[in-house]
Parts: sequence; C-alpha cells; structure tokens
Amino acid sequence: MNPSPQANAAAPDHRPGQLAMGIGALIVAAVLAYGAAAIPSDAGYAGVGPDFLPWVVSAALAICGVMLIWEVRTGGYRHMEEPSGAARGDWRALAWVSAGVLLNAALITTIGFILSCALCFALAVRGLRASEGKPIGNLRQTVKDAVTGIVIAAPVYWLFTKLLAVNLPGITASGWI
Amino acid sequence: MMDTFNQLLAGFATAGTPINLLWAFAGCALGTAIGVLPGLGPAVTVAMLLPITGQVEPTASMIFFAGIYYGAMYGGSTTSILLNTPGETGTMVTALEGFKMAKSGRAGAALASAAIGSFVAGTIATILVTLFAPMLAEFAVKLGPPEYFCLMLLAFTTVSAVLGQSTLRGLTALFFGLALGLIGIDQITAQVRYTGGILEFMDGIEVVLVAVGLFAVAEALYNALYEGRSEASMNKMNKAHMTRSEWRRSWPAWLRGTAIGFPFGTIPAGGTEIPTFLSYATERKLAAPEHRAEFGTTGAIEGVAGPEAANNAAVTGTLVPLLTLGIPTSVTAAILLSALQNYGINAGPQLFQTSSALVWALIASLYIGNVMLLVLNLPMVGLWVKLLKIPRPQLYAGILIFATVGVYGMRQSAFDLFLMYGLGLLGVVMRRYDFPTAPVIVGLILGPMAEAQMRNALSIGEGSFMVFLQRPMSATLLAVVLVVLVLPRLLARLKGPAAS
Repeated sequence: MNPSPQANAAAPDHRPGQLAMGIGALIVAAVLAYGAAAIPSDAGYAGVGPDFLPWVVSAALAICGVMLIWEVRTGGYRHMEEPSGAARGDWRALAWVSAGVLLNAALITTIGFILSCALCFALAVRGLRASEGKPIGNLRQTVKDAVTGIVIAAPVYWLFTKLLAVNLPGITASGWI
Repeated sequence: MMDTFNQLLAGFATAGTPINLLWAFAGCALGTAIGVLPGLGPAVTVAMLLPITGQVEPTASMIFFAGIYYGAMYGGSTTSILLNTPGETGTMVTALEGFKMAKSGRAGAALASAAIGSFVAGTIATILVTLFAPMLAEFAVKLGPPEYFCLMLLAFTTVSAVLGQSTLRGLTALFFGLALGLIGIDQITAQVRYTGGILEFMDGIEVVLVAVGLFAVAEALYNALYEGRSEASMNKMNKAHMTRSEWRRSWPAWLRGTAIGFPFGTIPAGGTEIPTFLSYATERKLAAPEHRAEFGTTGAIEGVAGPEAANNAAVTGTLVPLLTLGIPTSVTAAILLSALQNYGINAGPQLFQTSSALVWALIASLYIGNVMLLVLNLPMVGLWVKLLKIPRPQLYAGILIFATVGVYGMRQSAFDLFLMYGLGLLGVVMRRYDFPTAPVIVGLILGPMAEAQMRNALSIGEGSFMVFLQRPMSATLLAVVLVVLVLPRLLARLKGPAAS
C-alpha cells in the first residue's frame, strides 16, 4: 500500500506541513484542557459532569497529535494519497480570493449584501484567473466582473429576502438594494 | 402492512399537492445542477439553504432537501462520465469505467445506464425503506440511552476509522468535530463551555457554518492555491441510448448494485464509497469473459451500472437510520438532521408517531422524485452538460456568494463570515494533508447528542460505566465497535508481510 521512497522522490516534501498539523492538534488539545479546567465537574446523578467530555476530547486530541508527529518523525504520514493539483501553492491567487471573502465579511453590514458580494466576486475572480496564469484583468474586465457579481447577487438577495423572508443586510429601507 | 400502505397513500396525497410537487421538482433540478457542477455537493447546498427553514413549512422543505440530496447523485454521474472529475465522492467509481466508455465514443450508453440504474436502485431502495423503516422504528422505541450511545459510538467509529485512508487522521478529524460541538451551552446542566466570553459562541457553532467553510469556501481557496493549472478535458456527448445487449448487461448489475448498496446505507457505517467499490469489484469478477477485457480499457458498462445503482441505493438507505434512530451516517444526512432540529422536530423512533405525516410525505416524495429525475436526466441530459461550460473562476467566485447567503442568513452575524473563512483555510490544509472532512461534521452534530445520551445512561446506571456492559444490546454494539476498529488492522498485519 505504501508508496516506495523512489516514487516519492519527485513529489514535494509534505513533512513540514504534516508536522504543523500534528502540532496544531496538540495546541487544540491544550486549549481544550485549559478550558476544561474552568468547567465545574458537578455531576449530579450521572457520575460525570459537564467537564467530562471536554477532558476526554482533549486527551484524545493530544494522543492524536503525538501520534501524527511520531508518524512524521518516522518517514511521514502513512497511507497518504498524493494531494491533487500543483506541487507549489499560488499564494498571490489565494491572497486575492481571501481578500474577497474577508472584505465581504467586514463590509456586509455597511454597504449591504449586493455590493459586498459583488466586490467579493470581482476579487475572487481575479485571484482564480491569476491561478490559471491568465492576465488578472484590466479596468474594463474588472467593471465587467463587478457587474456580473451584481447580476448574480441581486436576484439571490431578492429571492431570499422577499420570497423566503431570510434577513440579509441592505443599504436602503426599500429592501431592493 | 395494510397500515403502512394506507399511510403511504396519505403521504402521496400530501406530496402530490401542486405546491409540494413544485418543491420536489425544484429540489431535483437544483440537485442535478449542483451534482453536475464540480465544487458543490448536496451537503453544502442543503446547508446553504438551511436559512429557509425559518419560513418554509417542514414538509415542503424536507421534500425540497431530499430532492437535492437525490438529484446530486444523478447529476454527479454525468460529470464523472464526461469530465473524469467526479462531482461527488459516491460517483468516484463511476468515473473509472464511465470515462473510458465516453472516451471510446459510448458516452450516451454510459449516461443512460447510470440514469436508469439510479432510478431502478432508488425505487427499489425506497420500497425497502417503506417496508422496513416503520418496523425498525417500532423496535427502536425500546432502545434506551445506553444503546443509543453505543450506536452513536459505532457511527463515530465507522465514519472516522473505516472511511478514508488512515484511522489516525480520521480520528483526529472526528475529535476536532467533537471539540467544535462542545462550544456553547451544555444540554443537561446549562453550563457554558468554551465561549471565551464571545457572545456568538453561546448558541454553539452552526453546522451550516462548518459545512460551508470546510467544503464550499475551502474548495474555492484550494482551487486558487493549487488547481489553477490542472487541465480537464471533456468527452464528447452523444444521445443517451442503450442497445439491446447493453440492456442485457446492465440490468443484473443494477440489481446486484442495489443489493450491495442498500444494506451499507442502513447500518451506521455510512458513506457510499465502500458499497460502490464493492459493487465495482463484484462486477469485474462476474463479467462474462468476452466483456472482461473492456474493464479498464474501452470501458465496461457493468462497471457503470453496478456502482451507480449501489450509490443510489446506499443514499436512500441512509434515510433509515436517520428517520428511525435519528443517527446520520453521511454528511448530507447530518445536515438534514439539523434541518429537522431547526423545526424543533426530534428525529428518532418517535418520529413515525409524532410527525408521521411529514415522514410519509417525505417517503412518497422519494418515489415521485425518482421519476422526475429519470426524466430530467435522460432526455434532458444535454441541458445539464451545458453547465460544465461555466468558466472556473466565475463558478467558484459565484459559490462564494451563495456561501455568504447560507452563513449570514442563518444568524445575521458578520462574525460568522470571518469564522467561515477560518474554517475554509482549515479545509484547505485538511485536503492537502489527506484528512477526511466528513468526521468533523458528524462529530459536530452527533457529539452533543451522544454526550447527552451517555450522561443519561450513566444516570440510569447510578454513575457506573458498567451500565454499557450489563445490557446485552449495548454490550453487543460495543463489541461491534471494537471489531470495526481492530479488524482492519489485524487484516493488514496478516496481509502485510506477505505483500511487501
């Protein structure tokens, strides 16, 4: 089942990332333990209180973390499926998409759902285009992307707010924008 | 038996009203579309639409959601056959033979066999649900908290340890999901846990948020980061049509696939991966000598027919534990459960009594949905294929807009959108390092329920853990859990030295 070391030679070395995942599990376990210590253990009839499961999960994650790190130290994760896609990440593309999602989160209550989502769309499209190695778009293309974003977001907004009575933020009281 | 039949008829009466038919049709069409489109699955689609539970009445929305769940399985096979990138994990195996068939100019036959096979399997499986679910519910009423806890333990174990490549990574994902489930107010003592003083955490973390973050947002981020240069070539379509010999080769495979798929769906061992692979292996072994050479070369129709049927039968089968025990065995089932919870409906054995109208309308709508999907996917398959022409950047950017609707619409909190991004990043690294994501969702939803059952069970046992061993049913279930955990390792160890 295990791929031979020769076959792995060409593939990128995943071990630093794998190690980080193991350490991440340990950190979550530590946070859980820290929190669990503050939960009262008053058990009532049950014999175990509200702090029981937190301790169990914390301990289990700690064990998982240690075992993940042990696997990394002894040659890397077992039974790994080689991840799909490029060996190296396109960080610039990721930054564009991330900017879209984060700005959307930051602005949605101030500029309303439609505009905020259109902005997110335009930024994300830029990033995804960059990842394909295409030009990310000049001013004309950007305007076109923003309009496409509005054309998608506006009907969605109307459908959900008018028809399904889901609350989404607008900038006017009319409920149309 | 007569009673079941009458209730089913009543269910048809409810599901057959114009408005409910419309919901079923909308669900089937939307499901097919998202099944065809890469990047969106039924779980995340239902999750994004969960906010509608605030307005739409329970029966209509469950019919709608079930249509999406079902439709995605039909649509997923289209993508597998034409693009070789499976739209759904359950249609992974279909891609093996289906793509090769399409490559050698038999796309139409593969599509037809997949659609008709899905219909046959879906309908037979629905009949089985109709017959067995009420019986199981009657039996399940007798189960107490210790048995429930053990059943949930079994679901946890199988979802994390059996599916996926590595038990360790599966368990890590599961415990992370359980940790997320701990956030909020404890059900039994109303004790606040892990909120860190943040008001948004008081109500716990919404499953919508986690599902959308881990699947939809992660998919968009992963695509930007790693998949930009991956080329996908599309096979040429032709008319969905099967010759007489293809019919003759398909139908036994459909029936065998159904027989393999349904039981796997019903036991809390979840997932469609195992039954589809099993069905593929079976078909390959049973194929007539003159057709065997087609496997892996020009594409064998049995290799499409069997797994597709198994896939649909398993999906329908997951409704049995969901409706009778309230235990979800797949991510989509977990999200359907949380839709029921939004309505204050407790899925479980009582469901057949307390909400029998809803349950039977849902089951009746499955029969109707299967017919609708056959029509949507056979004569109209060309229409759906056009969806594959949407350029990748616009597709994933558009998904982000829908992700925003689902997550923001649920609680009207911009804080959740930041959290969604964080979970998106987590989804990217989990995919990169081959951690399964399904255990996170199942752990998150089932965790708090399992904790409550465990503490209730311990109350019955006056604080002693022996209560799980003293009751025969729960002791048996614990033994099964142990077998599931230990057996694969034992087999690997036995096989290991010989193989290397």
